[in-house]
Amino acid sequence: MPSAHPLGDSAITIAFGEERSPALLGWIHAAACSIRSARIPFVVDVVPAYLALTVFYDPVAATYDDAAKLLIEKCTTAPSEADDRKPREHIIAVRYDGIDLPAVAEATRLDVEEVVALHSGRAYTVDILGFVPGFAYLSELDPALHLPRRAQPRPRVAAGSVAIAAAQTAVYPLDTPGGWHLIGTTNQLMFDPRSEPPALLAPGDIVRFEPLK
Amino acid sequence: MITVTKAPPYLTVQDCGRKRTRSFGVPSGGAMDSFALQAANAILDNELDAAALEWALGGGTIRFERDCGCAIAGASVRATVGGRPIAPCTSTIVRAGDELAVEKIEAGRFLYVAVSGGIDVPLLLGSRSTYLPGRFGGFEGRMLRTGDVIPGGDAELPDQQVHCAAELLPRYEAGIVHVTPGPQEDFFDDDAWRILCESEYRIANASDRTGYRLEGPPLPGVPAALPSEPGCPGAIQIPGDGLPIVLMADAPTVGGYPKIAVVTEWDLPILAQRRPGDRVRFERTTLEQSRRALHRRHADLQSIRQLARSAH
Repeated sequence: MPSAHPLGDSAITIAFGEERSPALLGWIHAAACSIRSARIPFVVDVVPAYLALTVFYDPVAATYDDAAKLLIEKCTTAPSEADDRKPREHIIAVRYDGIDLPAVAEATRLDVEEVVALHSGRAYTVDILGFVPGFAYLSELDPALHLPRRAQPRPRVAAGSVAIAAAQTAVYPLDTPGGWHLIGTTNQLMFDPRSEPPALLAPGDIVRFEPLK
Repeated sequence: MITVTKAPPYLTVQDCGRKRTRSFGVPSGGAMDSFALQAANAILDNELDAAALEWALGGGTIRFERDCGCAIAGASVRATVGGRPIAPCTSTIVRAGDELAVEKIEAGRFLYVAVSGGIDVPLLLGSRSTYLPGRFGGFEGRMLRTGDVIPGGDAELPDQQVHCAAELLPRYEAGIVHVTPGPQEDFFDDDAWRILCESEYRIANASDRTGYRLEGPPLPGVPAALPSEPGCPGAIQIPGDGLPIVLMADAPTVGGYPKIAVVTEWDLPILAQRRPGDRVRFERTTLEQSRRALHRRHADLQSIRQLARSAH
């Protein structure tokens, strides 16, 4: 059963479970979709994540208790399938020239070529967007490539960096601090505030990386 | 039109931020002291969330290219218009060619300069605020420079001075900030809560529009990080070293550190105006009290705006 927790005086985090799974994520996205399409007047924004979704609301228009009750009901009755939006497929061309590529090969006891083949050899699903504009968390990396984040995050990772950490991979959409391992670069624009929608990727989309020679 | 004649080191266009695009990873952003922004707008009968200039870190000058109303709020400054000192939170009529000079920021951190009609940069993702890390929003997605000409200040002139009474302002000097429980409050024991609410914390140097790091007693028994989940400005996250970090306007939309508490929306301006080295204390409050305070503040701002409207 989903449970509601306050995130300050104008947001509610609804926790769905404690173990990450594609099924749980599917339910969370379905619940987010159901809340959005209900057009509840006090709801300002709906943000899905791995174990929870957060609803930002107008505390002048609704009390926490009333908002939480209605939202829990929506989440409980949401169909357990993903939303009705058709997932799109994207191919992102990558130069595998990342600064951490040799270190990743060494830590995983693979050749650089094997790392590239494993990373570019499968299709990934967009789990959620978050962190900075257009940053998509993609799953799931080949288990042979799973590494913890770098002990010391870099103060600046360049836009277009293709990176891995734990079971995930991502493209940094803009220059930002970052703690993932950088294995390549792409010219693909991931976020354009003037586009509708502004982010290239949406939850549920399929992404493949294609190595550039 | 307004011309930046001598840009301070850190000058941006800000409004109340982007409220509906967090699911694309876009931080809410907007004014660090949203009360000061809204108060300056209310005094001029602007929409409360109209865009204004956020001025940080030092002196500078701007020139008004036509007659308009202007109001400053937030940090305490020594400021003049056309050479005459101006009072904070009070509407001032400026004439074409007048210069607003901010000599220095004396206390606090962020000053808001609102003009009648607001700063008229394009709306992007529902807001006119500048998001510097993404280089979008505001004026060309960047800090303003000397020589920039900014659209705005084109509305009708008020003909009477309107003032926001001092008792309506947040108690900036006290440095006491109320918090409500965060989503992981149950992960922390009573000791952690006691330390958070009974200790004095100091704002660390590494504090900016993304977050304020605090120095002081670390919280014990910090739970492990979680899979990334949404945060919000004001959320107090506790990393492994136990030292709180308060997320601010430009904070990432999701993060994995447990959040013990969240600074109330009405007290976040008090924290935002603290400088590195300044002290802060947290006091626990309830969601209901916080909601009542927000209601009251909303009503106060509307009544100032009403006053400004009748002054036309």
